[in-house]
Amino acid sequence: MHVPDGFLSPVITRPAWGAAAPLWYWAARRNFGASATESLPILGSLTALAFVVQRLMIPVPGGTSAHLTGVAILAILYNPGVAFVCESLVLLLQALFFGAGGFTVLAVNALAMGLLGPGAAWLAYRALRGLSEPGAAFAGAYVGMQVATLAVALVLGLQHRLDPAYMPVPFEVTVAATMLPSLTVLGVVEGLFTVATMALLRRARLLHAR
Amino acid sequence: MPAEPRRSQILLVAWAVTTFALSASKDPRVLLSAALAAALLFRRGAAPVARRVVVGVLPFALGLPLASWAWLAWREEAPPVAPFATLALRAALIAFVTLSVLRRVDLLRAAAPFPTLSRLLVLSLAQIHALRRLATESALGLRSRLPRRPGTRDAVRSSGAVTVALLSLSARNARDVGDALRSRGFH
Repeated sequence: MHVPDGFLSPVITRPAWGAAAPLWYWAARRNFGASATESLPILGSLTALAFVVQRLMIPVPGGTSAHLTGVAILAILYNPGVAFVCESLVLLLQALFFGAGGFTVLAVNALAMGLLGPGAAWLAYRALRGLSEPGAAFAGAYVGMQVATLAVALVLGLQHRLDPAYMPVPFEVTVAATMLPSLTVLGVVEGLFTVATMALLRRARLLHAR
Repeated sequence: MPAEPRRSQILLVAWAVTTFALSASKDPRVLLSAALAAALLFRRGAAPVARRVVVGVLPFALGLPLASWAWLAWREEAPPVAPFATLALRAALIAFVTLSVLRRVDLLRAAAPFPTLSRLLVLSLAQIHALRRLATESALGLRSRLPRRPGTRDAVRSSGAVTVALLSLSARNARDVGDALRSRGFH
């Protein structure tokens, strides 16, 4: 669901940077200070895993792409602030070294895929974990994927509303093209990926590093 | 010419301003002029960058507008092509400028005055390299254990064990990188 560079004008990207910058600073200071030394290895592993799963992208009509995010697990295991910083790093590296996403749209992508999506995943997981932990993780990841995708579609729709000559794809096309694969396939796969990765982390006895 | 890391930082700031300026333009003539200027400015090493844009970015930069145009044409009547072409040109041009500038910048040196950013960058890059290497090793290992070429079913069947190994090894690798960073004064 990356928005590539050139699809959003500075009318949207500048305020997004303004909103994201203090959040990055706060989240990085809070979660990646000296006290995070013990959790850095597993955080690094999960960030790298998110990087790998996000490299598999399918372009969809409307200005974005369909792919897993792999960051709901970071919000579930740690908190949405950790997911926000890790996802932002993944997006930055993809933008700088692989031309995926982009620098001007980094804040928009990070807020959608790194904060809103994982935030929703974290809330859903906390609300449901009393019933079943794997079920809550699955539901959290599914909900997180839908929220992130909808946020991206809304931003692209807003760009079309602000200036149709800049972004010629209308909101109803963007939302249909992005939400359909997300609701039917990607959300389910993201849920399964999250549950499976949590089980694998337990099997590898890596969760104690939290 | 200013010394590193100042030179890389100046280049990065200039690049950031340029990409925002390019992302503001919807005039194809301005974008074409900018593309010509970029091709002249970055002519040294332009061929591999252009190849990367064609292979890695153009399928998206062209594919997305083309798919959107086709979708709209199928649902209603064919919309004008110019805004979609401008969209593709803008996306490809920004990617070309980005990749060209980053070939000339030492990112880690530019980030050196910011220890937290440096630590996260080093850790992430090290993890990505390690994960790629381990994935290749695992694929080779799987191939060596089977008398035939491994198929999708073999890959799925072994994916759990491989992922456990990948996570364990990358956690160990991250610990090593973290220790190395701490020993060099990154706290």
